[in-house]
Amino acid sequence: MTGPASDAIVVDHLSKQYKKLRAVDDLSFTVRSGRVTGFLGPNGAGKTTTLRMLLGLVTPTSGNATIGGERYTELHDPIRHVGAVLEASSAHRGRSGRNHLRMICRAAGLPDSRADETLELVGLTPAGKRKFKGYSLGMKQRLGIAAAMLGNPQVLILDEPANGLDPEGIRWMRDLLKALAAEGRTVLVSSHLLGEMQVLADDVVIVAAGKLVRQGPVDEVLGSMGTTQVRVRTPQAAELTTALSALGATVAPQADGSLLVGGAEAAAIGHAAFTASVELHELVAERGDLEQVFLQLTAGMAGIR
Amino acid sequence: MNLINAELFKLRTTAIWWIMGIVLLPLYAASVLANWAQFASTSPDQVSDPDQAEQVRAALEPINVATTLYTSGQYFGILIVLLLSAIIVTSEFFHLTATATFLVTPKRESVILAKFGAAVIVGVLVWLLTTLLNLIVVPLIMNNLDLSSQLGEGAVWRAIGLNLLAFVLWAVLGVGLGVLIKNQLAATLILGIVYVVGTSAIGLIFFLLTQYVAQWFENLQVLIPTTASQLMISGTELPGNPPRWVGAVVLIGYAVVAGFFGTWLTKRRDIS
Repeated sequence: MTGPASDAIVVDHLSKQYKKLRAVDDLSFTVRSGRVTGFLGPNGAGKTTTLRMLLGLVTPTSGNATIGGERYTELHDPIRHVGAVLEASSAHRGRSGRNHLRMICRAAGLPDSRADETLELVGLTPAGKRKFKGYSLGMKQRLGIAAAMLGNPQVLILDEPANGLDPEGIRWMRDLLKALAAEGRTVLVSSHLLGEMQVLADDVVIVAAGKLVRQGPVDEVLGSMGTTQVRVRTPQAAELTTALSALGATVAPQADGSLLVGGAEAAAIGHAAFTASVELHELVAERGDLEQVFLQLTAGMAGIR
Repeated sequence: MNLINAELFKLRTTAIWWIMGIVLLPLYAASVLANWAQFASTSPDQVSDPDQAEQVRAALEPINVATTLYTSGQYFGILIVLLLSAIIVTSEFFHLTATATFLVTPKRESVILAKFGAAVIVGVLVWLLTTLLNLIVVPLIMNNLDLSSQLGEGAVWRAIGLNLLAFVLWAVLGVGLGVLIKNQLAATLILGIVYVVGTSAIGLIFFLLTQYVAQWFENLQVLIPTTASQLMISGTELPGNPPRWVGAVVLIGYAVVAGFFGTWLTKRRDIS
């Protein structure tokens, strides 16, 4: 097993030019081990193409992508090092899920027993002998994860793994990925389910139109956009609004009777209320959510290219 | 070896192998019966053209009857092997399993080599099946034609051996063509139709070229793959045909070209 530092994913000035479309445009970012990294972007932003280049399935026009310092195609025993889930529907319709896994085991020189172990891990054992065409989308996603875990890899790369999962399945996936990252593995997950990503990811890489828009820990990215607002509830809304306006803060009354205050810290608002003798029932600093930040960051870049 | 094992496992865990088996058996039986009927009813006296009569007389020599009968099923057996070999490649794209396959083995030439290996094994198995059936059935037919079994003749065993070579070469050809025609439906249809109809169609073109353009076109007929493989396994030299080794060279040529070009193309292609 290699150390955590050597399992980083490094994407370095990566570009892919299709006939007229620059799907990925001089993209650079790093993914650290021991954390879950969300890879976010609007449809057609080049997420899947980037992941496919990272995995040696698509040849980059220029640039480099490495896992633990090596290109995927140069890894000695790739699936013992990197597990990937790329598309949920990628198994032969007439083959059972168990045989799909066994086929990979045979090609990789792993014992057939790994197939049963990973089926158990993803909770698919009862459906193992059923043919793939009878699987629900959620079962297909689970089979994809089972395939990725066959080689017990240090690095996991998942493209839209939450698609088609029910709430219970999403919770299960979140717990699994967090547990795997906590063990020191590198986990890179692409998604456009922003609410889910806000809960799951430690770091985010946001791309749009093939270019990097922002990268960093979720909190930093959220904070950097200055979207922090404070929700205040008071029976004396008019007095408080006057007091806060004097401070230069903006006050927006909400339909539920609360006030959303921008441009002032919670402490300053509390102090202003105290000096103005205004009674407060609620004073909560609200972090801007990933969806708002995402839409702000990718504004105008999300169109179909 | 792991990879060839995996390729055979892929084939074994879907329905395609027994479907092809069910298709093959009646076709094989029909070929044996047709050969039998032909030898039972033909005689050189019915043919007026002296050249043709000479050919028919040669074909009716016991040894040539034997080589034809002991390689019965070649035509359809090879068709099945050709289709299965192509499907070994195209099904990866049809069922989107190419991604999983190339993730396990990013060195794509190894995957294609394994597919060649698996296809050759399939070819050998189908050859083994038809040959075993022939060894059981044909002595009875020879008896019915009032001929000895001819199994002591070297030419018979050489024909059976060359028949094996034909199966192997067509298997390689099938994989190469499967890479070129990535679409499964297109590949099976094109290969099936070209194999069955193409021989006569191209044969007709060659006939017209020979008749109206130049006599030497006749010698190029061996370039038709099916003609080449039939020539290769013919028992002894038949009058008016190129020597057998020419057929072998033509087939090996096609197999090598398809193999190398297919591998080269697979290495370059983006998998998405």
